[in-house]
Amino acid sequence: MAERLADFDFPSGGLDAALEFIKRTRAELRTLRKVRVWRDKFHIIDVNKDYFEIRGIGYAHADIVPLLKSVNTAYNPETIHDSIDAPYKEFDTGRRHPWAEDRVM
Amino acid sequence: MSAVVNGAPKASMNEANERDPYNNNSYGTLVDQQYKKVDLPVLDVLDFNERIIRGYEEGYGEKHLPADLSLARSLVPAGTATLRDFSNISPEIPEYIPENCTACMDCVTECPDTAILGKVLSEDEWEAKLLTIPEDDREMFRAQWSKTKKYYDAGKKKGLPGGMFQIIIDPSKCKGCAECVTVCDDDALKMVNKTDEVMTRARKTHRYFKNIGPSNPKYINDSLLIDMMLKEETHIYVGGAGSCAGCGEGTALRMLCSATGSKFGDQWGIVAATGCNTVYTSTYPYNPYLVPWTNSLFENAPADAIGVRMRWNQLGWQNRPLWCIGGDGAMFDIGFQALSRLLASGMNVKLFVLDTQVYSNTGGQASTSSFTGQNTKMSVHGKTVFGKQERRKEIAQIAMMHPRTYVAQTTCAHVNHFYKAVLGALEFDGPALICCYTTCQPEHGVADNMAGEQARLAVDSRAFPLLVFDPRKGDTIKSRLSLQGNPGVKDDWYINPKTKEAVTFVDFARSEGRFAKHFDKDGNPSETLLAAKQDRLENWHLLQELAGAR
Repeated sequence: MAERLADFDFPSGGLDAALEFIKRTRAELRTLRKVRVWRDKFHIIDVNKDYFEIRGIGYAHADIVPLLKSVNTAYNPETIHDSIDAPYKEFDTGRRHPWAEDRVM
Repeated sequence: MSAVVNGAPKASMNEANERDPYNNNSYGTLVDQQYKKVDLPVLDVLDFNERIIRGYEEGYGEKHLPADLSLARSLVPAGTATLRDFSNISPEIPEYIPENCTACMDCVTECPDTAILGKVLSEDEWEAKLLTIPEDDREMFRAQWSKTKKYYDAGKKKGLPGGMFQIIIDPSKCKGCAECVTVCDDDALKMVNKTDEVMTRARKTHRYFKNIGPSNPKYINDSLLIDMMLKEETHIYVGGAGSCAGCGEGTALRMLCSATGSKFGDQWGIVAATGCNTVYTSTYPYNPYLVPWTNSLFENAPADAIGVRMRWNQLGWQNRPLWCIGGDGAMFDIGFQALSRLLASGMNVKLFVLDTQVYSNTGGQASTSSFTGQNTKMSVHGKTVFGKQERRKEIAQIAMMHPRTYVAQTTCAHVNHFYKAVLGALEFDGPALICCYTTCQPEHGVADNMAGEQARLAVDSRAFPLLVFDPRKGDTIKSRLSLQGNPGVKDDWYINPKTKEAVTFVDFARSEGRFAKHFDKDGNPSETLLAAKQDRLENWHLLQELAGAR
């Protein structure tokens, strides 16, 4: 059912290339639903559960933060790098700009 | 039935026509129905639907329809919104994957637009009805049915033929929000692009679904509340309303109507306070309700409801429920004195509060229901004032202190809690208030598919605790108040079992755009947001104490 639509190898590409990969391929996913972060890989998942995979980076890595921010992830910066017993951490990506947020009445 | 419009015969709006070749925009939800006529000399339903609705559907209504008595009175017959076509507003539509479906009915229940419908038939009647489908489409339609454990296997265990189950999408009502796909845990729905092929299949499937008649009642378990939408009589809210894609209020109104319809059919009514709910359910000439409905001002809908109740009682209609509906602006603020008066009156009127915390209709302002720190048009987050500075008013707690009043606080994501709260209010022989958390996607700053997810997070984070206060349960507050349904009732915060982390109001705020300015570039919360977190904890402690859980 869920398909991996694209993948990226982080160690060989680095942060800028990873961000560029997300930006370039973003249109292949539908409405983003959530992300999952393992110790060594990162999935950006859409409403159909199709996903992008970035391998070679996990929640302990400092560079995971800009990747999470690039897709509006609601993560906790205090605990994002902490180890957990579960295989992965999961966060929503449903935050949007409110309508006319800069309009002052 | 054909209609004569401007002297020329035309196919009825309730039949297939050039604009609607498969008659998807037709009266009735699970099965076709004739127009619901009203016995009033001031409104000719046939004329209204054929002439006025046609005028608006074909785009000349506002400019060229004469302001005769039908038009000028602004009366709208029941259920006219079924004739409205939303086929072209979204580029995507859900597609059903029958082999994965478990017939949980979550998608049908959570759709804000009555655009996803379910049906169950015995296998033998299903086979017979398939023969009525045109041969060219029969296999296509057959392939869209599911053999689920819930109906097929369980049916056989009961000595019945296996129950065949189907979900269909009404392409004329779906707005493409993807809420149904989001709530489906079984991968039985996915969003696809609207191609000609996809839309033709969806339109045909919806047409055949309505042609083959209603669900077989032998397979519907009345004690399983989530199955109530398998019955036609529960679809009192027929879809076609002008609400935003994924509107949390739309789902709340649908579920309220279903629960009330399951007990009282269409023998009940609604008084609605001005707000978003009145705008999208009475955008002339479209009305999604099949029950009598009236709109009063922001400030006095409960007073209006008192008058309707008194008149109904004079007519001998004491047993017909009357719901008074309003948003947080109407019920927490502008109409609060009327609300309090109604509760104090002891009259048998039920209040339903669509609590978006943002005065949604007027563009997102602070109400007394808004959370501390919330950035709205009237509590703008700036350099000196950081969003709303006051604490949230708790209307449920205030209502509990009125004499003999049934109170509940619930969300549509907690389906059983919601239905039990509504049915409990209907059974109660006095005033009741139900406060329902509802998302407002554009004002909260969340995606269209997030109504259920955000409502669940609001409860998990103590932003909006579930409660039921039933005066019949005893003579102490502790015996009357139940916090059942909240996670970790005796704890301060709910601990996520996967991450072992506490889920707090800050986590809720982090997931919504309306609080975005309270986080610095590293994601750390502001002092105001920490105060909001403390406010929510104190509110939770108060409820725990009242319920004897602390």
